[in-house]
Amino acid sequence: MEPGLREQFDRAVRADPGADPGEMAKAAMVHGGRIRRRRRLAVAGAAAVVVTGVGAVGVMALPDSAAPPAGPPAMVAAAMRLPAPECSKDPVAAGATDAAVFLHEATDRQRSAIGRALHDDERVATVIFESREDAYPRFAALWADSPEFVASVSPDSLPESYRLRLRDPAQFTAFSREYATKPGVQEIVGRICPQSAPVGGGAW
Amino acid sequence: MTGTVTPSRPAEDAGSEPKAGWAAARRHAKAAHDAEFTAFVASAGTRLRRTAYLMCRDWHLAQDLAQQTFAKMYAAWPRLRTGTNLEAYSRRVLMNLVFDQSKRRSASEVVVAELPDHADRGSGTPELRLALIEVLARMSVEDQAVLVLRHAEDHSIDTVAMILDVSVSVVKMRNARALARLRALLGDDFRAAD
Repeated sequence: MEPGLREQFDRAVRADPGADPGEMAKAAMVHGGRIRRRRRLAVAGAAAVVVTGVGAVGVMALPDSAAPPAGPPAMVAAAMRLPAPECSKDPVAAGATDAAVFLHEATDRQRSAIGRALHDDERVATVIFESREDAYPRFAALWADSPEFVASVSPDSLPESYRLRLRDPAQFTAFSREYATKPGVQEIVGRICPQSAPVGGGAW
Repeated sequence: MTGTVTPSRPAEDAGSEPKAGWAAARRHAKAAHDAEFTAFVASAGTRLRRTAYLMCRDWHLAQDLAQQTFAKMYAAWPRLRTGTNLEAYSRRVLMNLVFDQSKRRSASEVVVAELPDHADRGSGTPELRLALIEVLARMSVEDQAVLVLRHAEDHSIDTVAMILDVSVSVVKMRNARALARLRALLGDDFRAAD
């Protein structure tokens, strides 16, 4: 008898190494809880700043854990820095494989000068420019569960960035020191990522 | 005198201030949600991981995708737990993760291992298995999703359309195209009810 497609699919997954469902649930709850808290924090931060205009009460809306009162730009900046799941959670000062170069109020000329420098830089393997327009749909998709937060953020408040992968992680420190002082650059966030991660190591 | 008040709540609520009671109620609700969620993962985990495998053909990555899917679902669990088709929802989250990943891959020009152009298909079973997987790998990720959801998972055309958030006619079109491609590449090695 000829095997049907369904049986072929069944056979293709026969090598399933399996996983402990209890462990899976536990890990999902830890990670999922973190996603939930992060969103709540972001919404609270965005909301707080909207209210501060009215009175000091707004500051009270900030959860105790949010260190300094953070306005939407800061919250957005924090959201921008979310690492891709494959990458190191915290930014590193040395040994980064990937980096995001965030720009702040860069003029056209500054932006293209940085882009040219990165493209010509021997240490950079791949570089992608992420404009505000590129960033916004991904930002909105990532925070789809918090429409209030998304609505409070306009594309203009998202930073532009260059996302890049270095040829040699050992060069990151020198690379970062050099670019951090270029006009228009606000910050460089480096992460350690496997090849499979998105270039730049950001969640989006 | 007030000494006769008997605490009617469990010991952890003994503070009996409204706030403490509220916190305890929240804790209880959370524990109940967590139990529900754990049961859901136990019942859905294996199939989800296998579906992820068919989409990415790497068990390690499949586990990772399943794990990410569950984490996202847990983050939205209070909203999802009632009135949502959890299975369909989990497929939707998974497929979006797969689509994102394939988009990022092509955007970042990272070289991914290419499968050989000629599948060395013999007549034995393991070769047959390889062949299906390899043929899948050569299709667009959208067509793969339709094939996997429709034929590996047995979802109806309507459900597939809902999961992928496209129209029924798009699903039918992709399904027909993908099946034709599969037939052409696999030859007579398979038969499928459309």
